[in-house]
Amino acid sequence: MLEWFDVFFSIFVAIYSFFVLSSYVAMAILAFLEHRKHYTYHDDAYTIEELKKSPYTPGISIVAPAYNEEKTVITNVKSLLSLDYPDFEVVIVNDGSKDKTLELLIENFDLVQVPYAYVEKIKTKPFKGLYKTRSDNPAFKRLTVVDKVNGGTKADASNAGVNVVSNKFFVCTDVDCVLDQYALYRIIWPTMASTRRVIAVSATMRMSNGSIVEEGKMVDSRPPHDLIPLFQDLEYTRSFLIGKTALARLNALQNVSGGFGMFDREIVIKAGGYDGDSFAEDMDMVARMIRYMCDAGEDYRIVQIPETCCWTEGPPNLKVLNRQRTRWGRGLFQFFSVHRDMVANRNYRRYGGFTLTYILLFELLAPVVEFTGYITVIWFFLRGAVNYNTIWIAYLGLYVFAQLLTMVIISYDTWVGTSFKRKKDYLWFVLASLLEPILYHPLNVWFSLRGYWKHIWGTQMVWGNMTRKGVQSAKPAAPKPIAPTPVQPVSQEKKTDA
Amino acid sequence: MEYYTLSRYAYWKYYILVFYYRLAEYPIPVRLWMLFGSICMLLLVAIVIGNAARSFTSYRFDRLVQHNRERYYERMKTVVSQARTLDPAEVSAILELPKNFKMKERQNRSFVPVLLELRREMEGSISQPNWVRLTQALKMPVYFESQILSRKIRKRVQGFKDVADLDANLKEAVASRYLFTKNRKLQMHARLHAARFGTSYPFKVLEEDPNLVFTDEMVVKYHNVLVYRQNNGLTMPNFIRWCNRVPVNEELRIFAVNEIRLFNRREDCAELLSMLESSRDEAFSCTLIRALGEMEYVPAEKEFLRRYLSASFTERQVLAEALGAIHSGNPEVVRFLADDLVQTTDYVSRMTLLRVIHDYGAIGLQTYEKIKAESNFELEPYFAHIECNLIDSRRYA
Repeated sequence: MLEWFDVFFSIFVAIYSFFVLSSYVAMAILAFLEHRKHYTYHDDAYTIEELKKSPYTPGISIVAPAYNEEKTVITNVKSLLSLDYPDFEVVIVNDGSKDKTLELLIENFDLVQVPYAYVEKIKTKPFKGLYKTRSDNPAFKRLTVVDKVNGGTKADASNAGVNVVSNKFFVCTDVDCVLDQYALYRIIWPTMASTRRVIAVSATMRMSNGSIVEEGKMVDSRPPHDLIPLFQDLEYTRSFLIGKTALARLNALQNVSGGFGMFDREIVIKAGGYDGDSFAEDMDMVARMIRYMCDAGEDYRIVQIPETCCWTEGPPNLKVLNRQRTRWGRGLFQFFSVHRDMVANRNYRRYGGFTLTYILLFELLAPVVEFTGYITVIWFFLRGAVNYNTIWIAYLGLYVFAQLLTMVIISYDTWVGTSFKRKKDYLWFVLASLLEPILYHPLNVWFSLRGYWKHIWGTQMVWGNMTRKGVQSAKPAAPKPIAPTPVQPVSQEKKTDA
Repeated sequence: MEYYTLSRYAYWKYYILVFYYRLAEYPIPVRLWMLFGSICMLLLVAIVIGNAARSFTSYRFDRLVQHNRERYYERMKTVVSQARTLDPAEVSAILELPKNFKMKERQNRSFVPVLLELRREMEGSISQPNWVRLTQALKMPVYFESQILSRKIRKRVQGFKDVADLDANLKEAVASRYLFTKNRKLQMHARLHAARFGTSYPFKVLEEDPNLVFTDEMVVKYHNVLVYRQNNGLTMPNFIRWCNRVPVNEELRIFAVNEIRLFNRREDCAELLSMLESSRDEAFSCTLIRALGEMEYVPAEKEFLRRYLSASFTERQVLAEALGAIHSGNPEVVRFLADDLVQTTDYVSRMTLLRVIHDYGAIGLQTYEKIKAESNFELEPYFAHIECNLIDSRRYA
């Protein structure tokens, strides 16, 4: 019986690994083609100049939910208001904060409640009021603050924001994310350059841990110098510059990140908005938008742009990482429970036929296979059944392949032109890449399995709090009575882990 | 006893054979895996070397740009800020260029960012003839021409962008070979180049190309080109011909009507009105209505009222806006809009109608107050919304 298992598992793992590695190679090649196209035809400065001058440049709304963000909200809202774009509005949704978030916003931006004719296009927790500025400052006039009863999730708050936005496209972000000054030009461009209707645009996100941020603006993008965020930075870069870029080339992108992504408002409303019960609300949103478009027989595109438009603070330690990844794991399992009819369904085009099948086999199932692999190897060791002449070859090959992928993303990153200022910073990526297969990957497998377990057994799970350390400042922040900047070194503030 | 010295080749052969026989002991899957690992290793080394080489090249290029900036920037500024048109010799003298000045492609390329910086800094105060002399002295037109005629598509596209950005006034003919190329992006840039610098009538391709695809990107770029042409006194296109083009291109004719509106060509209004009378397409009709409304073309009011009752929600909103924009003072219009307000259930339409009535002068305000007095609780939030001057009711969606 055991011998039968040995043979079966070995063959299964060989075939499974072959497909996984082949898919990585295929994705790296597809991403290369996409980056080459971008490099050939796109010129950032030229595009920005053209859009700045044109009266045809579409307006964009930025929706940023805020829950208990009193420490950082003022600096971050000021940073959002100072973005460079001819026509945009910032909608901050105060999701029933228990601290002074709303009071600080009112005080700093001279806000007053206005009799806005609110229409609940997407169902949310009760709307309490809408605030606009009395100030003559033209930048403040772009700000709208929505106050609502706490819905417990970012999804509910985002839906309330969508209900009041006035532009065709809206960007969904977090209030503590740091956006690039020209992010809006970059994210709107694919909707204009495409011959098909673009319903969502995803942009590359990176970790802000370790970077220098001043008054909510990115001054110097640097890799994190702590291992946990560094691993995540590498993981994000790999995911955006290879995985998502390749899938976007096939028009089969599975996810537009909740941290920074742009959506077509009309389609979001028709698709029913974000699902407040979902633990993977961004992936779920994209699935429902695609479902709507395919069911209506309409053509669409979802685009990934390679430029880094947003920096977010990643979990700084294992405890928070565990909570985040367990939630992601649970969200993935929950996603497939809800949208199982789309898997391998050609009615949903390449998204259903290819992407979801791929994710089911090689993302949802991978932790199970890997965990079984770890157990089997330990079992083989105990039985003395390990072939030492071969096993090192297998592991060395895998290790070299992982290093190759890292070098490929470094090349892509420098190619698309939003790389670190100092090339030596990439050595941190190399370091992370050397350690990742040994230290970080097995942990992720474990966290994902915990998420699956919790979903299967229906364990109560809430959106946990995330300990944020804050990012570095170029110069020490001057003490302010009511608006401390996010650049305080190590403030142990509790925030929603959205 | 004889000693034999093995050649270097023999040593290599010996080690390769050792490796081969060692490898041959493994089963085929392991051998394939080792081959894959070796390829990965080679690729890894190649990419590392490639990245290092690219970093070094980029570093050298940045230094060259910096050097040009330090050496020439102020001198260039002196040239382009002169009111009098300088001779080529004078320009060379100010720039302190050697007598037989020649440039390699890399050196030319390094001047592009410096010239761009200068153009952005001096925008509006630049002497155009001296700017042309400056680019000629630096041999930029020859460089751009070689870029555009290059075999690499990126160089061609970049060449067109640089010419547009730097207003380098390259010959129109350079772009002609790409006007109908299969590569749509390159085709677009070539057409934009022709449209920007063409001296006769460079818009024929738009009117005659049966396979024309007119994206929003082209809308933005063509508008900027048209603004450039107007500012430089060059011939402007006949937008009505774009509307009447056969076969019809929906996006192009919408763009043409919008351009008539943006350039305020009131002489085309009668033609637009006759198009509206026969239009069945919603998007095109809405564009026509908006254009006629914003240009305050009073004769269109009758047609607007005729269309109103058979129009969709979207078209009704645009019609109401247009009637408000024309603002002829006709009490019939206000009565008409007020009647529609009673019937409509769409919240955006309600808001639009109430706002238009509210802003329609004294007659409008009187009707608005009457509606307010007689209305039920359903309309209450709209009144407060419109009357609050902190909210821009036009953006309600």
